[in-house]
Amino acid sequence: MKIKLWGVRGSIPCPGPDTVEFGGNTACIELRFDDRLIIIDAGSGIRALGDSIVRNDLKKGPINTEIFITHTHWDHIMGFPFFTPIYIPGTQLKIYGPVTYEDEGLDRIIGNQLTYRYFPVKHSELSATITYYPQKENTMDLGDGITLTTKYLNHPILCLGYKFHHKGKVFCTLYDTEPFRNVFPTDPEDPNYDALAAKEGERSAREENEKILEFIEGVDILVYDAQYTHKEYEASKLGWGHSSMEFAINACHKARVKKVLLFHHDPLRTDQQLIELESSFQQRLAGKSPLQLQFAREGAEFEL
Amino acid sequence: MEAQQGLSAIRAYVDKMPSLPTTVSKILEICNDPQTSPADLNRVISLDPVLMGKVMKLINSAYYGVSQHITSLVRAIIMLGINTVKNLALSTAVFDNLANASDFRALNMEGFWRHSLCVGVTAKLIARKRNVDAKMLEEYFMAGLLHDLGKIPLNNRLSEQYVKAMANSDREQLSLYQAERAEIGADHTDVGRFIMANWQLGDEITDSVAYHHSADGYDGENKEIVYTVALSNYFANSLEIGFAGDRYPERPNEKIFSLLNITMDWLDEIEETVNSEIEKARIFLRIKD
Repeated sequence: MKIKLWGVRGSIPCPGPDTVEFGGNTACIELRFDDRLIIIDAGSGIRALGDSIVRNDLKKGPINTEIFITHTHWDHIMGFPFFTPIYIPGTQLKIYGPVTYEDEGLDRIIGNQLTYRYFPVKHSELSATITYYPQKENTMDLGDGITLTTKYLNHPILCLGYKFHHKGKVFCTLYDTEPFRNVFPTDPEDPNYDALAAKEGERSAREENEKILEFIEGVDILVYDAQYTHKEYEASKLGWGHSSMEFAINACHKARVKKVLLFHHDPLRTDQQLIELESSFQQRLAGKSPLQLQFAREGAEFEL
Repeated sequence: MEAQQGLSAIRAYVDKMPSLPTTVSKILEICNDPQTSPADLNRVISLDPVLMGKVMKLINSAYYGVSQHITSLVRAIIMLGINTVKNLALSTAVFDNLANASDFRALNMEGFWRHSLCVGVTAKLIARKRNVDAKMLEEYFMAGLLHDLGKIPLNNRLSEQYVKAMANSDREQLSLYQAERAEIGADHTDVGRFIMANWQLGDEITDSVAYHHSADGYDGENKEIVYTVALSNYFANSLEIGFAGDRYPERPNEKIFSLLNITMDWLDEIEETVNSEIEKARIFLRIKD
């Protein structure tokens, strides 16, 4: 299995002199399993991936690929109209992603970016054959020896972590997500205090976090949302749906993850800050944990 | 005399109808409040064990496909978030109470619910198009969903007369409420008004139920919602989305179209959206014990 990161930034693309090393594009990951191509997320990084596919794959025949959307927040779907293969006749594209009851279907949530008010081309004018499938929490046999397991994460809308098994190796995404926490008052003095809810809330949050650990147990490469530092998270980002670097690293250590790529960098984070944070965490882990840690860099490639 | 006996039978029936539990009004209130805390939501749903059971069932249904059974509401709120649970609770509370209240004879239940859903969904879409305050949207939906509720007691208590009224409406090409009046001495908006007096869902919904066939002469404070429900009802009947007995609906007065600034052409355009919204809402009707 080969992995390439085409977008690692959170929230919004942020090109500029401060984001040259880690990149400014939003989420997009390319996975290659021999001849099979699978894409995770259609953030702004998917534009360059699409061009690369057209350059390198098209000569071998029509493009046939799947995109697994982690969730439909804009930074994870905004690149879709710029994914060149959708304009090429013969392209077969399947798009999977979670949707909630109260929302429209995936076809409209993603496809409606291609309406005249936003874009000069309408979805119905695309040359590719595109089909949309709602994705839930389950395990699927994708063929070619690939098994996919999905897990709901903690984000303000339904959001899935994706775990791919292939030939004994495991690659997994765990973004966007925040540690589950008890949202019920635990202070008996609080007017809203309810002893049962407080206790059940504590237990649920703990158990849901344990399930996340089970999900990532022993993974070879894990891409983990770590938008904030612990200090930033505690100060003002509770409930925003993202994890702190410290929490992510601890979880990976506990779950015996082999390599973690911290991901979904805050748009305000400069290359210099990321380099310093990366080196500081690497030093703290050295000799204490076998966990390998990197901050995700746009363009980075890995092989399992 | 016969008409009076009929009406008192209806009154007795209405008084015995399962009231919409106070939790529904409470849920409506807290779901419309963006400041609602997880603790508020948990408390209100927990007050009604039946509702609680339904919500949990839906959370564990194939719709979400959660791989491990979620056993507590607290956990559901922590896992799925407060907004998801709010929406589930609201829809479950409303649909479930109504589905149970129905024991259909003259009218076909499936058609009746499809019609009611259509009016609810259309009323909400019209409200959204008119930039009505987002907090009021669920109220428009409820008003539309409940507008024909008065037909349930008529259909159940006076089913023979009701079958006649429906036949007369067909033969004489009258709107059903006119045929009800001729046959029974009262129509479903009168009965709806009795029910609403017991349920106390607020003046907006009560007036919509009571005046959806006489919106023209309505001069109360809730014109916009009453007009919207009247128009949505006409739309549902004329496009025959669902069927609640009215084959010859009266077209609302032009002033209703112009006050709302809604045209029949626009209504035709939203037909597809209405149908897909109805399908979604039906998910909740299927969740039954």
